[in-house]
Amino acid sequence: MKTLAAVAVIALLLLFVWERVEIIRVGYQIERLKSKKITLQRERDELRVKVLTLTSPERIARAASEQLAMVPPRQGQVILVRVPPAAPAAPGPGTPEFRLARNESGDKLP
Amino acid sequence: MTGADPYRRRRIVAALVLMVGFAAVLFRLFSLQVLQAAELTLKADRQHRKAVTIEGERGAIYDRRGKVLAMNMEVPSVFGVPASAGNPSRVARDLGRLLHVQASEIEKKLRQERSFVWIARKLEPEQGRRLERMALEGIGVVMEGRRFYPKGPLMSHVLGFAGMDGQGLEGIERRYEPYLRGAKQSVVLQRDALGRTVFPKGPNDLGPAPGHSVTLTADEVIQYIAEKELEEAVAASHAKGGIVIVMEPRTGAILAMAVSPRFDPNAVRAISADRWRNRALTDAFEPGSTMKIFVAAAALEEKVLAPGTLIYGEQGRMVVANTVIHDHDKSGWMTFAQVIQRSSNIGAVKAALSLGETRLHRFLTAFGFGERAEIDLPGEAAGLVKEPRDYGRRSLASIAIGQEIGVTPLQLITAVSAIANGGWLMKPFVVSEIRDGSGQLVFQAVPQVRRRPIAPETAQALGAILEGVVVVGTGSRAAIPGYRVAGKTGTAQKIDPETGGYSPTQFVGSFVGYVPAEDPRLAILVVIDEPQDEAWGGVVAAPVFRRVAEQALPYLRVSPREPVKLALAAQ
Repeated sequence: MKTLAAVAVIALLLLFVWERVEIIRVGYQIERLKSKKITLQRERDELRVKVLTLTSPERIARAASEQLAMVPPRQGQVILVRVPPAAPAAPGPGTPEFRLARNESGDKLP
Repeated sequence: MTGADPYRRRRIVAALVLMVGFAAVLFRLFSLQVLQAAELTLKADRQHRKAVTIEGERGAIYDRRGKVLAMNMEVPSVFGVPASAGNPSRVARDLGRLLHVQASEIEKKLRQERSFVWIARKLEPEQGRRLERMALEGIGVVMEGRRFYPKGPLMSHVLGFAGMDGQGLEGIERRYEPYLRGAKQSVVLQRDALGRTVFPKGPNDLGPAPGHSVTLTADEVIQYIAEKELEEAVAASHAKGGIVIVMEPRTGAILAMAVSPRFDPNAVRAISADRWRNRALTDAFEPGSTMKIFVAAAALEEKVLAPGTLIYGEQGRMVVANTVIHDHDKSGWMTFAQVIQRSSNIGAVKAALSLGETRLHRFLTAFGFGERAEIDLPGEAAGLVKEPRDYGRRSLASIAIGQEIGVTPLQLITAVSAIANGGWLMKPFVVSEIRDGSGQLVFQAVPQVRRRPIAPETAQALGAILEGVVVVGTGSRAAIPGYRVAGKTGTAQKIDPETGGYSPTQFVGSFVGYVPAEDPRLAILVVIDEPQDEAWGGVVAAPVFRRVAEQALPYLRVSPREPVKLALAAQ
């Protein structure tokens, strides 16, 4: 009986110690994951800034004119057509009131 | 031989030694645990626990379509611990190469008798990674929030910028500082023997609340169009600078506010304070002929004149208070509408004289001149409108042609928007909503009416006159095929600071108007400051109005008045 009690007490003590050790171990694990999360968040922010910088209207306009030799449409190259409101709407949200198209009959592009 | 224990003495000595030893240990224990308990607990706490103040991330700024204009990012800052830097000159040399800073400067910092010195703050992320790989002695890296403006100079005068410690110093950043700034929270970190943090927060602790995000009424694309066209016009006319404001006349919402020359808020330290100033609202100027719009508004509202009333143009020369007022054209009889369309000084002066000082002043203040428009941006000026008691003999005539009066570009566009808006003067605004860190709406702007200086019929009659300015008058270069445009040109001489009189060479050319005239969606003001060759507002500013509007209208899906083939319309 006495032996059993002693074993039980020792087992309880070991359980207590194991619990404490485990808490510390998991605590470190949490910390590691947290710092990994922060690193990944920073990387995400860095990429976001890059995307935003690369998609600025100024850069796109420059790339379009310098690399792709695009020019803004000149007068006569754009035909504005009003779509009658009664006409059945094309699928998809936000169908504009008019459409833009290039003037095929008019002057040639430079 | 006695039976005495031969080891008794030794046993006693050993027992005594042990007892003294135990007593010493017990005493030490007592001393540590009881006598010095408070002091040592404090010391241990100091080593294991560290209180730090954490600040929530600063809120982002978006345009009306949710495009990011300003955001925060964690970037590395480098510090030195002089006591730990073994070889300051070698460390300084390595650092200097990486940071592009003079090695001698870093070495000087590392030789200071201080426990902590900043070496460089808020660097590029790549520099931080390279620094960590170098693992220099006595050099550490910490992360700090840095403000980024991913679109560079775009909208810089509206956005403003934040300082090194993340506090808003100009523009929206300054005006909305209490909202944008993240909450501060004090946190106790526990550290183990190796200095690693253990359980810095409980699992449910979310940390300090981030700042609110601010959404503007301004649109990135319209702003880009305005800035591009303004920069091109300023460069082409070799002007000193310029301003373009695009407003939604019905609400008073600012769609774009461009100021030239621009600056990059990401590199603000290299730029003089003069460049930061949002001159669209901080600086008043003499508007010149655009003021005739308001003289006409007052004359029509008071029924002093009608659009068809005939006025004699004095063949282009009239004497007022011993000074001569000239007209560009030598006109005879013309209608009041033609006075505005031809921008006749003499006709405008006659209209002002028939109104009288008090009435003209009343209308000028009703249109918001001489008082702040109370836009939600810092640094707005009230301009200068003289009281009738301070008028000189020529004042009434001068004011009629936009002299002796100082208005800010913001006041001018707001007042013209009132004409476009059936007479309602709106309060201009640039922030449409504010949301907290969790996306909950905190504030939503609603258009605010300030007052109604003129009746809708007057606004309509005046609108028709202003359409004539573009169709047959001085503003023909503002015409956009397919759309009805109303507006007015202005060319004002600047005051020469040396002579105190009007400069014969320095002008401000402007155009202000709205489109489509029958259902105004955009009110646009263009101001070109000191153009070099041709200074006429109709020549330097009106084309900028046209180019901004003809790109912005299709973008906003505003249909032309009638189906039109621009090639035919242009012929």
